[in-house]
Amino acid sequence: MINKHVKTHTDVVCPFCGSLCDDLEVDVVNDEVVEVRNACKIGTQIYFSSNSDNSDRYTSPMIRKDGELHPATWEEALEKAATLLANAKRPLLYGWSSTEAEAIQLGVELAEITGGILDNCSSICHGPSIMAMQDAGIPKSTLGDYKNRADLVIFWGCNPVHAHPRHLGRYSEFIRGYFRKDGLNDRFMVVIDPRTTHTAQLADLHIKVNPSEDYELFSALRTVLKGIELEEEYVSGIPREQIEQLVEVMKSCNYGVIYYGLGLTHSLSHHRNVENAICLTRELNDHTKFLIQPMRGHYNVAGSNIVFSWNTGYPLAIDFSRGYPRYNPGEYSVVPALLRDEIDVTIVVASDPVLNFPAAAVENMLKHPLISVEPHETPTSALADVVLPVKICGVEAEGTAYRMDNVPIRLRKVKDGPNGLLTDREIMKRLINAIKQKKNL
Amino acid sequence: MSLENLVLITGQQIDQGVALEAGKTKQKYVQAAGVCKFDKEDFRKLGCLIGTPVKVSTEYGEVVVYSILSEEAPHPGIIFIPAGPWANQLVNPDSQGMGTPTYKGMKAKVEVVENGKVLGTIALLKKYKK
Ligand code: SF4
Repeated sequence: MINKHVKTHTDVVCPFCGSLCDDLEVDVVNDEVVEVRNACKIGTQIYFSSNSDNSDRYTSPMIRKDGELHPATWEEALEKAATLLANAKRPLLYGWSSTEAEAIQLGVELAEITGGILDNCSSICHGPSIMAMQDAGIPKSTLGDYKNRADLVIFWGCNPVHAHPRHLGRYSEFIRGYFRKDGLNDRFMVVIDPRTTHTAQLADLHIKVNPSEDYELFSALRTVLKGIELEEEYVSGIPREQIEQLVEVMKSCNYGVIYYGLGLTHSLSHHRNVENAICLTRELNDHTKFLIQPMRGHYNVAGSNIVFSWNTGYPLAIDFSRGYPRYNPGEYSVVPALLRDEIDVTIVVASDPVLNFPAAAVENMLKHPLISVEPHETPTSALADVVLPVKICGVEAEGTAYRMDNVPIRLRKVKDGPNGLLTDREIMKRLINAIKQKKNL
Repeated sequence: MSLENLVLITGQQIDQGVALEAGKTKQKYVQAAGVCKFDKEDFRKLGCLIGTPVKVSTEYGEVVVYSILSEEAPHPGIIFIPAGPWANQLVNPDSQGMGTPTYKGMKAKVEVVENGKVLGTIALLKKYKK
């Protein structure tokens, strides 16, 4: 029987990973999600986690008193947060990768009026990619273009089966494209990873590079590409013949794309790995068409870089302490700033640094007051001093997010969510107003 | 038994991603992220049953996690801990001056610990909140 109360939302955009799948269908009855179609396991879970039976969801603001978090009114909680930020000497404003562009833009204003350090999650993931792009440029396109044209797909230091579950099916490998009518049979898939990852298990060729030795392998590939013979029999654990074979595969394709992940940015050579990858890609264009694409993690981490850039000129690691933006990754990046223990108040919007940062950085962050803007209980909110609970972007609030290839997509609202919660954007506006009043701005 | 000179890699896993969204303070998340995944041959040398808590240590810290066999093997000499607070007790916070910590490629040691206990998310992190 047809249930007349079911409201089906189509073309819903998943707010989890940088694939930003925009073909979800979500059924809602009485403001509760009852069915999610097309999403992967993780995307499906996001929608169900928004329902009222999830005990982790905050229904009112919280303030820490005598060591415990207690419910508070919005006035009290916003006043407390605004006072902490207005009186801070070196506040940190961090997160932004899982919220929408308009809230991020207001976050930049909040950083400006508080004179704080402003940073986003790319600081601990693809920040090195951005630095490499600033040094070397980047030959890249959009996911639709790769889908329609690529006949060689290389996954380097990334594991999309786990981290971007629908990427292979929607954009990169299994999907049919305009010029790749037979989907995966029209493509050659290479995975370069020290482990036989689930992605590697699907590959036509798996190159098992030694951990943290990607830089040397890029250099070896560039050497062979230039027509110079390698003297070493093995580079990064890979026999010379296999390196030569890979170069032939790369040169002989019609349209190649390297998708790379944190395997490059999280190992010792960080941005130098990516720079070498970009140089290899650029040099391959002497022979054929070749592009390179970072596999961005959070659904709007690309957006946080873009919105920061159009407002300040810089994509991450920004310091407003002199009243104008300055950029110096390594100094104003969030983890080094915390390790120097110079941050005296932290506000986290749409992120969970207590979960994600190295222990030494967490230890310093938790020495000082912490404000968490977050819909669910997370380690960051559970250990915060003020919790400002929000509607979930892409589920209960609209906004704009940027896919990993920097294509902006409008997030949809499929339900209203709990009464009495604000959106990230409203919270930013109220904090800005309160702080302006306190500082007579 | 113990194993030395292993390389620790951390990273995303789908079940850990689902558990993140289902509740980071729940037991399911501990089971998804508070684990160390071993190559079969390495694990054999450790001489314990699958699921036994093991202590993993690096230059930067130590943590007790459940031991399991890696489905993304073989990868002799490499252990894998999903991204999360357990892994973050062990990673190298230094960024070599460029801002991003080094989450992959630490030298690690593993020991089987009698009566080892894997802490829950908040129990593990609460020690930092003074
Ligand atoms: S692949 Fe990413 S964007 Fe697509 S449904 Fe899964 S989590 Fe959401």
